Amino acid sequence: MENASVPSVDNIRFDGSARTRWRLGFDRVIGWLLPLLFLVAILPILSLVYYVSARALPTLSWTVLTSTSPYRTDALGVPIIGTFEVMLLATLLAVLFGLFGGIATAEFLSDRVAGWVRMSANLLVGTPSIIIGYFGYFTFVLYFGWGLSYIAGVFTLSFFMTPYVFRTADLAFTSVPRHIREAALGSGAKPSQYILKVGTPIAFPQILTGVFLAMAIGVGETAPIVLTTQPGVLVPQTVYSPVTFLTQLIWENFAQSQSSGLQVLAFQAAFLIMVVVIALNIVVRLISSRYRKRLEGLYA
Amino acid sequence: MRWLRWVAALPALAPAAILIGILVALVGATSFTNFGWGFFGFHWDPPTDQWGIMVFLIGSFLTAVPALVFSMLIGIGIAVASATYLPGYLTRILDPFVDLLAGIPSVVYGIWAFVIVAPVFGSVLEPWLVMHVAFIPGFGPPTRTDGLGVLISIFILTLMALPITTLLIRDALRSVPRDLWESGLALGATRWEVVRRVAIPYGRRGIFSAAFLGFGRAFGETVAVAMVLGAATNLPKNVYDTGNTVAAQMFELLDSAIGGTGSPQILAALAEMALVLLGISLVVNVLGRRLIASLYTEQVQGL
Repeated sequence: MENASVPSVDNIRFDGSARTRWRLGFDRVIGWLLPLLFLVAILPILSLVYYVSARALPTLSWTVLTSTSPYRTDALGVPIIGTFEVMLLATLLAVLFGLFGGIATAEFLSDRVAGWVRMSANLLVGTPSIIIGYFGYFTFVLYFGWGLSYIAGVFTLSFFMTPYVFRTADLAFTSVPRHIREAALGSGAKPSQYILKVGTPIAFPQILTGVFLAMAIGVGETAPIVLTTQPGVLVPQTVYSPVTFLTQLIWENFAQSQSSGLQVLAFQAAFLIMVVVIALNIVVRLISSRYRKRLEGLYA
Repeated sequence: MRWLRWVAALPALAPAAILIGILVALVGATSFTNFGWGFFGFHWDPPTDQWGIMVFLIGSFLTAVPALVFSMLIGIGIAVASATYLPGYLTRILDPFVDLLAGIPSVVYGIWAFVIVAPVFGSVLEPWLVMHVAFIPGFGPPTRTDGLGVLISIFILTLMALPITTLLIRDALRSVPRDLWESGLALGATRWEVVRRVAIPYGRRGIFSAAFLGFGRAFGETVAVAMVLGAATNLPKNVYDTGNTVAAQMFELLDSAIGGTGSPQILAALAEMALVLLGISLVVNVLGRRLIASLYTEQVQGL
């Protein structure tokens, strides 16, 4: 890694002039001040993790997590199951679109066309989530007439997650070492054989990181879900049923009232999402670091 | 078998198709309702048929631009510290915190800011600012006691844009060849002088792209801003006052539209606001992405 710090300059010969003294002193002061800026990132994170946990944990119990009774307003069973069901199908769809799309972009498209496709994936990542939410609302909820429903939320969220899977799948296949790709194709493998037997095993860990990343981003997303589903008191019975998503519960509880019971529930939901997102990020980090090591071991 | 290749290549169009689909759906949803120039006016009052979004547009810039400036300055500082001044083991411990900032969902930021941070702003920071820096235009009284408003929105948006700007600037600085660093030092420059005169000019494209992409993120942020900016329909009088942004206003409006108060005109206005927001974010993102020499570095993935 280029991570190594630049060699120290403490042994510059000091010629005694005021200008040199100023330059060296300035460098030293900057060297102390700039790292302090890390605090701007670290203190809010610690505060956020601490306060969300402190508000959520004292009242978080097994019953709160598992009770699916429609008469309880202090339980998270229904939204947890709802979130799980939405994420399951949305991830499947995002993998379907993103994985095949990414592989096709890396393997079948000319550089020119691939450049355009990659640009559009990047633009999609940069599109505000509210826009995706509106797209889902106008298309699935109103135009297709699905109403505010499980299935409308799933499709909207999957469109939101697709570019993340797409980009990692594309990146994973384009970064398969050239000599391996050419050895496979040169020894007579069909493109399909190359993709299935050579490319996929090499690219798999990286694709997995993309999927986890998309899940981490999807599970924390609020606007697309709030605009395309409505909270229900039951777990969804059909694909057109209402479904409650954890982030949606936070927003609804927040918007409806600031009563303390609803606020505690919102903090519990926030705590769960935070834990899931941080866990997914750690998994991504572990896989990618292990993967890099293995790559270096094999090909360096 | 050539046609099979074409079929296999079809899924590659997914992202482009989604993007075009979004455009078509939004344009269709406007029903080509013409609000005239009043759409960019200052008066938003649906019952009296006034649809000016200028207040929200100004609100978006008023929160996103200062947030971008802060997150660029802090981002450059962090990236320089992690690329030169800190030893490797410390950067390996500290850098993940910045990445983690990108992973926290915006609704979690929102509830944290509303419940925990806003009271601190309202009871400590803002009275202090009024006492000591009221001479700066926009920083004078009155304050609100609940702490909601422009200032805390800028704070939250700075945090949310910070990981993007920091990661891209870090990439830009790491792309500077080691030879250049070392020849600078060998000529007798201090580390700061090498950063200032060699590394930052060399990585300027990456740094500019960080500014564009960070701005895109801050400009389009919805839920957290909707929670802390206070949903006003007039321009903020000072930095402590409430306001609204395009994205947050759209979010709150549809929530009420779903509640059954939606009229065709509101939906058309929402679709046109969405197009304005999408247009700005596309322009910013195209500029930002074009500036990055390699569109695909592993570090950019997470954004």
